[in-house]
Formats: sequence, structure tokens, C-alpha cells
Amino acid sequence: MDSSSNSTGASPLATIDVAELLPRLDRGEEVLLLDVRNQEEYEGWKLEPRQPVETVHVPYFDFIEDPEAAIARVPHAREVVVLCAKGGSSETVVDMLKEAGLLTRNVTGGMVAYGEYLDPTALPLEPLEAARFSLFQVNRRGKGCLSYVIVSGGEAVVVDPSRNVSWYEAFVAERGARYVRVLDTHVHADHVSGGPELARRLGVPYSVSAGAGFVVDHAVTPLSDGEQIRLGGRAGVSIEVRAIRTPGHTPGSTSFFVDGRYLLTGDTLFVASVGRPDLGGHAVEWGRDLFFSLRDRLGDLPPDTRVLPAHYGGASEISDTGLVWGRLGDLRSTVPELQIDTPEEFVRAVSGAVTDPPAAYAEIIKVNLGGSASEEQICEWELGKNQCAAASGQRASGA
Amino acid sequence: MALKTLDARGLKCPMPIVKAKKEIDGMAPGDELEVTATDSGSVPDFQGWVRTAKNALLKSQRTETDDNGKSLYIHVLERK
Repeated sequence: MDSSSNSTGASPLATIDVAELLPRLDRGEEVLLLDVRNQEEYEGWKLEPRQPVETVHVPYFDFIEDPEAAIARVPHAREVVVLCAKGGSSETVVDMLKEAGLLTRNVTGGMVAYGEYLDPTALPLEPLEAARFSLFQVNRRGKGCLSYVIVSGGEAVVVDPSRNVSWYEAFVAERGARYVRVLDTHVHADHVSGGPELARRLGVPYSVSAGAGFVVDHAVTPLSDGEQIRLGGRAGVSIEVRAIRTPGHTPGSTSFFVDGRYLLTGDTLFVASVGRPDLGGHAVEWGRDLFFSLRDRLGDLPPDTRVLPAHYGGASEISDTGLVWGRLGDLRSTVPELQIDTPEEFVRAVSGAVTDPPAAYAEIIKVNLGGSASEEQICEWELGKNQCAAASGQRASGA
Repeated sequence: MALKTLDARGLKCPMPIVKAKKEIDGMAPGDELEVTATDSGSVPDFQGWVRTAKNALLKSQRTETDDNGKSLYIHVLERK
């Protein structure tokens, strides 16, 4: 950041990045958020800081139609931060407000930038674990998508990276490590995976299992059930990541068990619900698979296993430390779908609870299987929150 | 009654509405303005704008595809 423009007396900055704004809102700093998108966009997808933020909605075209009337609708505040879809209309509004004497800044890139912003949190590991590895949960907060970076002995593995691949490259480079493998827990339906592109750039293997009947056109290194990936080696430090097939949300869904304690469940199990089995048009079949994956494949794992999912539904699923995670033993008694004893009843429950499918999910799946799409098109598809859990309302999410 | 056209292809918001308003304000009541945009966000935005617009009515909206397969969003406005 340019610190000179922040000094007292100088003209205040005209813009603010999501990376600067969101932590400030999380801390509950006094900022007035002026959202200038149209009604549908505003209602469909909002900025979600960890503390409530005072928000005013005045569409940008009201500023164009009648600037004075629109400006009069903006309450006097110490600082007004203006937000739109891509940062263009809000810039126009910022200019008008400045002329009217308000202290105001434009959110660079708008909701698109919010949708791509990545917020990493290190897991608080036990001392003996921390000596051997670090594990980061990377929260794509605008989408409720979670990816993971595991670093041990100079080597790293990334699981479920989003499209902002340079971010993942820089993150690991800063820690003096290099990637040895890129993994996806499944073929995602709500966002375009950064996995194939990241692996290509780094020249390392990429693994995803689409399941029987699906062809992946990306270069994929197969990973079989139970196979272990070892990373590390520098100074004798290493850990293992074991693949556990957990079909259901998709036929190829795979969970990754890190060092025998941290289970990256993808969209198989969330902290408040389970994955939706209906996105392939085989809700009953895949629903049964999901039941057996949860009961039998994850059933043997110790209760102290930490579940780290690929999605969450709302702020209630984020712990005080900023992490989305749960103890498997606890989830066995709190997640409603895990209380069900028969596959029939389970299928009924999960197919009755699903909400609208993620926007453009069929197109997104095609791209994740190796199809092509323009950057602009992908950006459009990814606008909005994900819709991937077999739960209505606020409870968990994921595809 | 005159019909004018406005090429707003490649323009990102807020420009299609900024330009449309400028044109409309200079037209005579009953005149029509056909705006061609490539930004899909222009569809709800034109609908939202005319709710409070002093001089513009939205007569119709349609989607077409250009020779390169790119979607075009066409908005027909009338000067009130």
C-alpha cells in the first residue's frame, strides 16, 4: 500500500480494496456501506462481514437520474464506502458524493472482487503436529467456498483451489515451500476449479475423481481409494494425506485425511449438514451412496477427527477463531442427517431439503471436466453465493 | 416521431444508462431510442432506472446474438 497518500492532511484515498475493507468491517469499525446495485442484485447477494454493518441501498441509476435527491438519501457518516457489481458505477457515485463534500471511497472491483477474495486462517495444531506441518483453511468468503493448503518439510499440497491461482502460488512461496500436488475433492458444480490451471503452471500432478461414466479432459493423475500422498522430507519432516473415497455428492467424491486427524470432506459432510446428491439427476442412487459413505467410510474414523468441509452456509458455522470446522464425534450427534438409520429415509430427507441448484451448474461442471469458457463468462456464472448443501435456509452449503 | 439508435456495445455500467439519459433528455416527447448493449446487467438496470426516470419509458427489451455469437441486449425507450 502507498503509505504517503495516507498521511494526515493529504487528500484521502479514493478507493479501498476488499482485502482492506473486510477486516475493518469484521472488527466492527464504523463505516457506512452504500450499495448502488439494482434491487435484484442487492437482495440476492450481500457483503457478509463478521459484524453487522450499517448499509444503505440507493441504485446508481437514481444518482444519474436525479443526483441531488439520491445524495440526500445517503446519511451523514464519518466514512461512506460505495459498492456495486464490478466497481464502475460506484466510482461514478463516489465522484458525485465527493463533490457534495462527503468522505467516500470506492470498493475496487465491487462484488466481483469480493467473490474472488481469499482469506486464509492457520489451524491451531497440537504442538507435536505443528512441528511437522501447517494446515491453512482458505476462505473464499464471497462464495462460502473453502480450500486448503498443507505445508510440511518444504513441500505443499493444495486441495480445492479456486480460480485465483496466483494467490495460491504466492501464498506457498511466502512460506518457502513448493507444491508437489494439486487435488480436488470432486468435480465442483458451483465454481470453476483452479486445480488444472495451477497444476499446469507448476508442472505438478493434478488429481480429481469424476467417477464412473464421466470423462475428465484435463491431465489427471489417478488416485485410488486408500492411496497415500507423502509430502515433506526436508529435515526429516513429512506427513501423509490419505484418499478416502466418499461417493454421494458426486460419484467420484473423495475425502482427504491429513496426518490421521484432519479430514477434508469436500461436499460430503459439512459442519451443519451433508452434501446434496441431486445435481447429477440421480438423487436416489447418489443419495444412497452418500448414506453409505457417511455411515461406513467415515464411520470408522476416530471421534476426535476434525472435519474441514469445502463449503459453509452462513456466519453461524464460523467459529470464534474464524475457522469452519467441527469434531467428527460432535457432528455425529448434531448434524440431523447423521441421525438417520436407513438409506431410504436418508434419501427422502436429503431430497426433500435441497434448494435451487447453483447458478449455471451444468455449464460449470462441463468446464471442470475440461471444457472451455471465456473469463467473462466464468465471472458471470460465479456471481452470487453457492447453493450446494442438502439443507434449506442458513444451514451449511456446498457443491 | 423519430427513432434514434445508441450503440452501447462494450460499455460497462454505468455508461449505457448515462448515455441513454443524455440522449433521451435531448429528444422530443414520443421519440424513441433503441439502445444496444453487451452488458447483461443492463437488463435489470434499465428496468430499475425507468421506475424513477422523469423523461424515459421502457417500451421493450429483447436479446439478439451478433455475428460472433455474442449476446446483445436491446432496450427500446420512449421520451415521455
